[in-house]
Amino acid sequence: MIMIKMNKFPAIIILVILSGCSSSASVQLTNEFPQVLAKPKPLSAAVVFEPSFATYVAKPNSKTMIDIGAAQVRLLRNAFAGLFSKLEFVASREEITAENAMVIIPSVREVQVSTPSDNYLNVFEVWIKYNLDLETVDGEAIDSWFMPAYGKTPDAFMASKGEAIEEASIIALRDAGAKLMLDFYRIPAVNNWVAEEQRRVRTSTAQQTQAQVDLEPEAQTNRQLVDAQQANSTEASK
Amino acid sequence: MKTSSKLIAIILSTVLAGCTATTTIDEYRPTGEPIELNAGEKVVVLGRRDAGHYETDREFIGCVGKRMTGADIGVLPEQVFIDAIYPWFEPRTAPKGLPRLKRLMQDTSIKAEVDKLDVRYLVWLDGSTETLDSGGSISCAIGPGGGGCFGFAQWDKLSVYEAIVWDLQDLTEKGRLRVDSEGTSYLIGAVAPIPFLTPVKSDACSSLGNQLKGFFTTQPASPQ
Repeated sequence: MIMIKMNKFPAIIILVILSGCSSSASVQLTNEFPQVLAKPKPLSAAVVFEPSFATYVAKPNSKTMIDIGAAQVRLLRNAFAGLFSKLEFVASREEITAENAMVIIPSVREVQVSTPSDNYLNVFEVWIKYNLDLETVDGEAIDSWFMPAYGKTPDAFMASKGEAIEEASIIALRDAGAKLMLDFYRIPAVNNWVAEEQRRVRTSTAQQTQAQVDLEPEAQTNRQLVDAQQANSTEASK
Repeated sequence: MKTSSKLIAIILSTVLAGCTATTTIDEYRPTGEPIELNAGEKVVVLGRRDAGHYETDREFIGCVGKRMTGADIGVLPEQVFIDAIYPWFEPRTAPKGLPRLKRLMQDTSIKAEVDKLDVRYLVWLDGSTETLDSGGSISCAIGPGGGGCFGFAQWDKLSVYEAIVWDLQDLTEKGRLRVDSEGTSYLIGAVAPIPFLTPVKSDACSSLGNQLKGFFTTQPASPQ
């Protein structure tokens, strides 16, 4: 019995060592992302996180699996909050209730991973290639924007491949947020939409003001009539 | 017998003497005056991560920050600062020069956040530690009767880091530091592997941290 235990101990040690040397990695991103420090424009948007996007699991190669679905939703929620003052997050296009909003449908085109054995550098790299389909509420296409994000982390002695890829994926997601904040309003089609939307808001506000001004004399006449009626009724009661 | 012990002692002392890093520090400051750091004001040490083939590792940044932390210097952790200003100090968006920093600080929300954190100085660290050359060979074997390692291996490591100090109030550069640290490590396989490691990176960290600490202490300028 003692002999069996003695044999099991080195076997366990060897197994632990060998599992540390395993070249496969399965990663789930559970971290939180910071709020963006930016003043949003007074515009509204509806972001559609389709189930395929919200539960996306990347398989860049046969040995690597990265569950980025929930993390990318958390990140984009924060990032879009720094771009639009009115936001609606929905799971499908049919659920949108906002009027005159930009409809944004993000999707993942591809995820790529590169390890030190691939790139001959002491870094793990992750690329996440996003696509943002931008439409009006009526379904008219504004643009389809390709948004690549990149993250890398240095190779550390005795650190596992999974940890390194997780770290690089988090950096890539943070980079996606940075890219969005930096470049979203620089997209010519988005810029045109913003200008058009601001023109529409101005026109609508001007029309409302004009309508109020037009209604003002009529309201004044109505008030005078009511006052006169009240005075007549008071005199009659006397 | 005596001769063999002497020989072993000579070999060991030679190997151990080789396990020290050679560190050189270059310093540049526009003026000889120490950098003023008022009570409550903090310094933040940030790593440059925009280079393609290397990355200034967080462990080194943390090490320099720890070295600088003293009774009169408050050091804000790197991640706290980067998260508070997100996304303006990410590898893609971080200012590489003073003109960009000036533009960034014109944004009232960013300026307010920096003021809220009481960060007065920003220290950019850029560099890495690389293995330059390696030689020798060591082989290990394990069998039912036992195992062991035999052979000799050596490798040279070089740490090169540059630090740039920016004043977030005046939006000026206050000084630069460059540290080069080089050393050779050995691994002797005599049944058990015996490592003689030269702490190249650790030496670079302590030298850089101590020198940066000297930047901020209010010492009178030495007469030229």
